[in-house]
Amino acid sequence: MGGDPGEEKLARVRLNYFACHKSDWLLRLIDIYGGAAELLKRPPAELAAEGGVMLDTALRLAAQTAAADPEKEMLAAQRAGISVLTVLDVDYPELLKKIYDPPLVIYVRGALKPRPSAGIVGTRKATAYGLRTAARLARELAEAGVAVASGLARGIDTAAHQAAVDAGGVTWAALGTGLNRIYPWENRKLAEKIVEGGGALVSEFPLDKGPLQANFPRRNRIISGLSLATVVVEGGFESGALITARFALDQGREVLAVPGPVDSPVSRGPNFFIKNGAYPAESGSDIISCFPPEAMFGLKLSAAEPVHGPSAAALRELSPDALLAYNAIAEDEAGLSADEVTQKLEWQVQRAAAALFELEVSSLVNSKGGRYCRST
Amino acid sequence: MLSKLRTLCLKGIDGREVSAEVYIAPGLPAYTVVGLPDAAVKEAKDRVVAAVRNSGYDFPSKRITVNLAPAEIKKSGTHFDLPIALGVLAASGKLGKKPPARMEDTFFIGELALDGAIRPVAGVLPMLMALKGSGKTAVVPVGNSAEAAVSGVACLAAATLKETAAWLTGEGELKPCARPAEHKISSAPVPDFSEVKGQAFAKRALEIAAAGFHNVIMVGPPGAGKSMLARRFAALLPPMTFDESLETTKLYSVSGLGAAGRLVSERPFREPHHTISDAALIGGGSSPRPGEVSLAHNGVLFLDEFPEFSRPAIEGLREPLEAWRVTVSRVKESVAYPARFLMVAAMNPCPCGYLGHPTRECACTPLQVHKYRAKVSGPILDRIDLHVQLSAVKYADWEALPKGEPSAVIAERVLKAIEIQRKRFNGGIRANAFMAGAELRRHCALPEGASAVLETAMNRLGFSARSLDKILKISRTIADLEGAAAIKREHVIEAVQYRMLDKAAELPAGI
Repeated sequence: MGGDPGEEKLARVRLNYFACHKSDWLLRLIDIYGGAAELLKRPPAELAAEGGVMLDTALRLAAQTAAADPEKEMLAAQRAGISVLTVLDVDYPELLKKIYDPPLVIYVRGALKPRPSAGIVGTRKATAYGLRTAARLARELAEAGVAVASGLARGIDTAAHQAAVDAGGVTWAALGTGLNRIYPWENRKLAEKIVEGGGALVSEFPLDKGPLQANFPRRNRIISGLSLATVVVEGGFESGALITARFALDQGREVLAVPGPVDSPVSRGPNFFIKNGAYPAESGSDIISCFPPEAMFGLKLSAAEPVHGPSAAALRELSPDALLAYNAIAEDEAGLSADEVTQKLEWQVQRAAAALFELEVSSLVNSKGGRYCRST
Repeated sequence: MLSKLRTLCLKGIDGREVSAEVYIAPGLPAYTVVGLPDAAVKEAKDRVVAAVRNSGYDFPSKRITVNLAPAEIKKSGTHFDLPIALGVLAASGKLGKKPPARMEDTFFIGELALDGAIRPVAGVLPMLMALKGSGKTAVVPVGNSAEAAVSGVACLAAATLKETAAWLTGEGELKPCARPAEHKISSAPVPDFSEVKGQAFAKRALEIAAAGFHNVIMVGPPGAGKSMLARRFAALLPPMTFDESLETTKLYSVSGLGAAGRLVSERPFREPHHTISDAALIGGGSSPRPGEVSLAHNGVLFLDEFPEFSRPAIEGLREPLEAWRVTVSRVKESVAYPARFLMVAAMNPCPCGYLGHPTRECACTPLQVHKYRAKVSGPILDRIDLHVQLSAVKYADWEALPKGEPSAVIAERVLKAIEIQRKRFNGGIRANAFMAGAELRRHCALPEGASAVLETAMNRLGFSARSLDKILKISRTIADLEGAAAIKREHVIEAVQYRMLDKAAELPAGI
């Protein structure tokens, strides 16, 4: 790696614009030429000949990197309070450096300080069970002092980040877009809260890169790469969550899965992993106990047992009507509508309204789109 | 020679006196109509010529000038045919040397057929209302006689031009318009609430809506019964008073939907399709006509698939929902139509309709859902007091459900609540939904336990301050339905259930 380190960093940022290949391929070229700066000086024909690359790929690399303006990008990042890190930087996370194809460049907003971390991943189309379990695991991890890594996607990811933020913990979001283009857009506020809470947003893509379908599976290796263990909460066989879990396995990290109902399509992925030897994750301590011993040092391990429903104390405080309504709602995983409560219990509207209000206010039940589901 | 007849025209839904002057002068044969006539009035020329000839008179081959005064009011409609034809006959001396005395105090309305028969026209009732109490007589088409009789003005029914001419000269008589024995239109029987199984919350919300004149929005998947409930809603409202009937009939008459010339005695239920133009919904057009909101006056306006209505149409609802009338301004005129209706809106939870459905999967992206919902948010949602969520009824459950309460039973409770409100607001057309400011604070004072409920709702469920006033108003109506003088804790708790679109949890994250 010759030349000025500043120059080499700029060259890597420039090279990172050519993002249509896996980074291992670029890393190999960097290795061959002893640096990105050197690599970029070579004519495409030479790259093709010496690097064993197809000529048109080399031509595209030359064209796309030439069109990039890394100085401007660095300046823009600096203004936005975003640090740009390459493997040459000391701040580049050790864990991520150790994976097979670490990102050439990562853009980081917030603080990505080393600490034990676990990834929580799952489908965007999660069930109420998945969402509340993801939230509980994230909360317990955050309370123990573990950073929660996820992908800021809808569904499980959002539930995990949100719960970690709410618990006052640290959470890292690996994005599939540039940091200036938070996606999905409704999570912009959540992204702000992650940064404010001492967490970080991480992306390997140039700042203004918009959402591209192909880029989302790639960022999953960053989630697993930043984590000592990865938990799959829910996901079908084709889901991105399973991709992340496979990355974790390839990277030699632990994979845990949240057991789910055998007839739930989104629990097929995690149940499959458990069948094949993954640890079942019922609580935050299940996850922490999979960490290497040196990482567990200093963690606040609470003796939290897996929670099976709300505490008896919380239920004792309910009025008899509210308890009846709670039991009716808890019976059904999909929850009940207000009307179904009146039908099931053969109540008047007024009576059901009072019971539902009490339950909702007590946070034992939450309602969305007119359906009431148990929240713990 | 000159003749002068009296007739009427419409400005909005009010009648105005118009005189039709006809002047026949020697000269090259010509025939002009002046005095701001619209196309239909200009066409009167040709109908008048044919009708006069086919009634056995000569049409004078001279210079004929017809003036409709005052000239600044825009004249539209076909009912000027009769006065113009009579004017031509009088001016050409067919009705005697001097204008007949009966011409003085009589108003003429009618469209002529080419054979001289008189056809019914739109807007007879509102036009005649302008003559109420003046002691004047009007001659109207025989087809409008039932409607004319309702007006309380002495009216004669004419079937042909010839008959009318004979009456003017005293050679014949016209029959007075008699009020039909039965005003009620035997319309199709209004479907009953007992036919709707389940949906207890929605039914209750509609009961509250009817009692306190609260606007409602129903959110639920296709097939949950939103339209079914809405169509049964009008039956919950109290019967129309005579004045209300008259007001609504005037609007129907102006629109030419005279319901066979009878009084509209049942509360209108209007259900415009969501592809309706804003002008058709709100009222308008180059020669203004009342829109659906006015046709729903004193009744129910049901807007199914509410977010699918065009934005100008939805925005246009703001004025009638606030001021109970619609003002249509044009360069030449500005008219106001009354529009006091109860709005029942219905929407799916998302564009595909299956968001939150227990068994079917929703195919919408969160952005689509957000855009869909955003269309009804803001100022319009602010005018809707009650939100109610409907869920799909499973067939097995549906089979087992008992029949619901019949409309008449609910309507009785509603009527009692309305009586309480009449006393509270000292008569008038006030209802709980219209309380604001100091009035709201006075009538909706909360007992200790109830204000704690409100505070909890605000803190835990994320209700905005704006929704608090709504909850208070709904609580007041619930208390009225029960006959309770003061709002109780349970009334507030129930009211909270009807503000579900305000819950913070219902908004997509991050907005």
